[in-house]
Amino acid sequence: MTHPNSIEEHLDRQAPAVFIMPAVLVVLCFSIFPLIVSLFVALSRLKFVKGGIEAKYIGFLNFKKLIFGSQQYHFLGKFDQLTTTGYVIMSVFVILILVWFYRYFRSTNLSIVGTIGRFVVATGLFFLLMLTLINLTTPKGLPGTLVVTLTYVILGVIFQFLIGLGLALLCVKKIRGQSFFKMVFFIPMMITPVGIAYLFRMLTDMTKGPFAPVVMWLGFEETSWAVIPWGARIAVMIGDAWQWIPFMFIVLLAGLESLPTEQKEAALMDGAGSWQIFRDITWPTLLPVTVTIILIRLIEAFKIIDLPNVMTNGGPGIATESLSLHSYFNWRTMDLSGSAAVGYLLMVVAVFICLSFVSLVKKRVEIAQQ
Amino acid sequence: MFKLKNKMISGIVLAMGTLLFTMPAVHAKKYDGVTVNILTMEAPQIKGPMVKRAPDFKKLTGATVNIIGVPFADIYPKMEADFATGTNSIDGAVFAPQWMVDFIEPGYLEDLTSKVKADSAIEWDDIGYFFRSFSSTYGGKIYTIPLDGDFHMIYYRTDLLDAAGISPPTTWEEYTYIASRFHGQDMNGDGTPDYGSCISKKRNAQAYWMILSVAGGFIQAKGTGEGMFFDTKTMKPMVNNEAFSRALDIYKETTKFAPPDEINLDVGDTRGLWTAGRCALTLDWGDIGTLAIEKGSKVKGKTGAAILPGSRKVLDRSSGKLVSCDRARCPYAINGVNHAPFAAYGGWSGAINTASSARVKDAAYDFFSYMAQAKQSNVDVTIGITGMNPYRVSQFENLSNWTNAGFSKASAENYLGAIKASLNSPNMILDLRVPKNQRYQQVVLDTEVHRFLSGEISKQEAMQRIEDGWEEVTEEMGRDGQLNAYRNTLGY
Amino acid sequence: MNIWQKITKKRSLEDSSVLESILSYLILGIWAFICIFPIYWVLVTSIKEPHVVNQGPFYIPFVDFQPSLHAWEFVFMQESMNTLRPFFNTVIISLISAFITLLIGSMAGYALVRIHYRPKIVSIACFILILILAILLITKMGMDWRLVLTSGTAIFLLFIFTLSRRFKASLGNNDIGFWMISQRILPPVVVVIPVYIFYQQLGILDTYLAMVITYVAINIPIVVWLMRDFFFSIPVDLEENAALDGASRYRIFTTIVLPLAKPGLSATFMLVLILCWNEYLLSLFISMTDTQTLPLMIASMNTTRGPQWWYMSVIIILMIIPVILIALFLYRFIVRGLLVGAIKG
Repeated sequence: MTHPNSIEEHLDRQAPAVFIMPAVLVVLCFSIFPLIVSLFVALSRLKFVKGGIEAKYIGFLNFKKLIFGSQQYHFLGKFDQLTTTGYVIMSVFVILILVWFYRYFRSTNLSIVGTIGRFVVATGLFFLLMLTLINLTTPKGLPGTLVVTLTYVILGVIFQFLIGLGLALLCVKKIRGQSFFKMVFFIPMMITPVGIAYLFRMLTDMTKGPFAPVVMWLGFEETSWAVIPWGARIAVMIGDAWQWIPFMFIVLLAGLESLPTEQKEAALMDGAGSWQIFRDITWPTLLPVTVTIILIRLIEAFKIIDLPNVMTNGGPGIATESLSLHSYFNWRTMDLSGSAAVGYLLMVVAVFICLSFVSLVKKRVEIAQQ
Repeated sequence: MFKLKNKMISGIVLAMGTLLFTMPAVHAKKYDGVTVNILTMEAPQIKGPMVKRAPDFKKLTGATVNIIGVPFADIYPKMEADFATGTNSIDGAVFAPQWMVDFIEPGYLEDLTSKVKADSAIEWDDIGYFFRSFSSTYGGKIYTIPLDGDFHMIYYRTDLLDAAGISPPTTWEEYTYIASRFHGQDMNGDGTPDYGSCISKKRNAQAYWMILSVAGGFIQAKGTGEGMFFDTKTMKPMVNNEAFSRALDIYKETTKFAPPDEINLDVGDTRGLWTAGRCALTLDWGDIGTLAIEKGSKVKGKTGAAILPGSRKVLDRSSGKLVSCDRARCPYAINGVNHAPFAAYGGWSGAINTASSARVKDAAYDFFSYMAQAKQSNVDVTIGITGMNPYRVSQFENLSNWTNAGFSKASAENYLGAIKASLNSPNMILDLRVPKNQRYQQVVLDTEVHRFLSGEISKQEAMQRIEDGWEEVTEEMGRDGQLNAYRNTLGY
Repeated sequence: MNIWQKITKKRSLEDSSVLESILSYLILGIWAFICIFPIYWVLVTSIKEPHVVNQGPFYIPFVDFQPSLHAWEFVFMQESMNTLRPFFNTVIISLISAFITLLIGSMAGYALVRIHYRPKIVSIACFILILILAILLITKMGMDWRLVLTSGTAIFLLFIFTLSRRFKASLGNNDIGFWMISQRILPPVVVVIPVYIFYQQLGILDTYLAMVITYVAINIPIVVWLMRDFFFSIPVDLEENAALDGASRYRIFTTIVLPLAKPGLSATFMLVLILCWNEYLLSLFISMTDTQTLPLMIASMNTTRGPQWWYMSVIIILMIIPVILIALFLYRFIVRGLLVGAIKG
């Protein structure tokens, strides 16, 4: 190699930066900037005056209002004494945590960061679990937007995953019209969320929706799903499931189709039942895919807003209001600082859950795969 | 080469120049070259008639009027953001005058008093007393031009009530009685049982005006200036007393004779139910009258309107208890019943951005005036899809517009009679318009009432929470400022 | 054999028995119905008149009710300006945004797979601190942003060359990747007002530029995340051979890697296109007249008179059709693409 073309080589050396900097810069600007400004907004009270916006610093008042003050019922829900089942569940949970810590301390790779991390995860999960139990299982407890959002996210993702998996398993077999089904199942994902929200509002209408005759025939015409808190929540979750199951379905199907068939055939030869095949061969191979899409879905699920907004406007009472919707309502009445405060809390909870999921589940799966 | 090019260029320039100068500056119109941007709701209503008439206006004055539509819930944030950040891309807006205080206080809206005084075409005195004296003004000055008259009335099925020999309800107790009487009967001949009363109760929609309509007759009796929301001396909320308690009871009771999912119905749904003939009674704005005569409506000729029911007992403000009406307490009572028609929302009105240039502001004013003038407005209010309801006295005098639109003479007289009675009432309730009224009504009142309706909290708790919530907002905004604004809106 | 044995018999171990086939078809059929029925309902609603909609469910045109094209006529004729412009805007903005996002995102995704980054934690912390300081100075003290920008960059570079020598702790590629995807957690409501004010200061509100920048910024994380997996599956040897032959990184990227990643690129393009196409909240705030998009039209059909179901249905259909067409076209690529990416998780 003689004298290399200096400009070309120089450019090539800069390649690492050139490749990644545009993306990093754009995302950095659009994430740090709003984050910081929103923090300012959440810590102050905004007033619109002539010539601009006047921001008065009030510290953590907005957050205090949400956690301890007048908006506590809205955010955290109503409290009540735990029932005995509640206590039992909490005790089981504490025992599991203790076991987990014990195994960790006995293991070889202790570290300060690791301990602190686990401690944070444990406390966080403890509080969330207790809050959920208090809100949902006690006679007088009522959930606030935090627990409602958690319900949407956790129940929704589990349900969507199971159905997506089921459909994918069915579609894998040699069935005629496979591409037709795949095409059709893909459709719901392509409609804009606002459109889906209005669509489901139309569908679930008890007087002019298509299911009204069914309801009448079943004899339920005196009641309406919109009046019962859990009825309304389930309606929202059905709409959400309809929209996102295609995503699960397509990815899981792709994963299933890539499975090497020799293993399965060998197992069948050995007389293994289909459940065993699934448990020992299919499922482990699917795990990485599963974990990835569940993570993606978790992140998106926390932002659910269009469905509860359009179907029930957050009602009955506040039964279907998600955190994002809570933030939006505040924003709509120009309570910008309240809106930013709720948005921040949403972010904290979402990051906590996603990080916990990643460190508890994803990393473990990745290690197992190697 | 150069010389030729030069010659060509100068030749072209000369030709173009002469062309431009000799271009017919025919009829130099008043606002030639002026563009006015007006923000309003994106819908066939309100925006539709403005878009329809903009070309006519352009022919008359040369101004191009751009009507920008956004979803209803986003008009307020968009206006605030545009004015406050100095973007000023909006020259005018057609919105709820209820919100105008939020824009007047920081000085965003143009004072229109002098313009109105100098404008004879608008016939300001023809506009209903309430709308020109209360709805359009703040602190005595005019800030908005009304294009629509909004207030609540009740509607009843004339065929059902006539057959049973019952007259339309004048008190809320009568309303619930009639609702219970007809609930479960088949009212539209399709074999399915129908409902006694259909009132929109959906959260974050229009429901919070409905509860105020019910409560109004119990709380305000001495005229618009008395107000129904706060004490005019201390800014104490008037929601935790016997009157409001009674209103909540009635409001909840109507749910018993209503569709099962009533607390999830907004006005679109209840209006749909009404025109399908499934309700005996309903509470709504003026739209029902014009919707009832549309194609496919099952209640054409069967819809009657009446002034908002009232009460024989009103609130004694010092004791917080309900006391019977007498001449002193209820000076405007009709047959011993105190009626307080509620001008909910206030009626879509046009306001102008102070920061726009003078010529644009003049053009915007002329456009609003044009829309509000009798020649245009009297036709628009008879057509359901314009979303505009009557607010001018002349709109009741001439029945021909209405009969031309499809009303029968009897229906027109009945409908207009009810509107007239409401419009002429000196006890009309002005909607709340202190700064951040949305927080009071939409965030606190609406949420707590909805929780009460869905059984989440008790009535006592609901009233207490509304009072606490309102007090909190008042404290946050500054009690003196709020009290001052409240008094200003009532004309003190 | 009796009936039961007949229908549960399997011809071979891999095949499904008759019973299983029937069950599978049944379940798949039910789900297909669930997917299609709402679309059918929207179609049917778009040809109903208002009073037909309000009076209860009618299912089949001509049999149950008289269809009418009034809603279509309204949207396309009367309101044509109002419909065509947003449609046009949506198409243009989505296509441009998807394309740019794909470009920038795949470059970053590729880099994360092939190049070993080790950004020092200290440098990152410095950057963030200086950024915060800059924002504070500009907003609170009203200093000129150009001045702040230049001095900030200068100070930052200074810090890098001094402090970063001393501290070695650094993050890895995985951390960068996770940070990127975690940007999706930010709820749009929180982002709206700062972004609005930012654009307003720059004077680019209601322009295509603003919309495209925003959509690119919020979708880059997804592209990076997905393309990373696709690039991972491309064997390194091809690239190494090319490098030995003297090709620069750029050449390798454009001539070897990208063509091989076509399925992945199509799949990601489709996904980003859908996300931009359907985005509502940010476009509501940034656009005024010139750049209104279709989801806004749908939401605005919910008036104070209640939702105008018939108009809304027309617009929903208008929104779905192009996306379905593109999906049909790119479908094969998408499935293959997701498949390749999925294995690598």
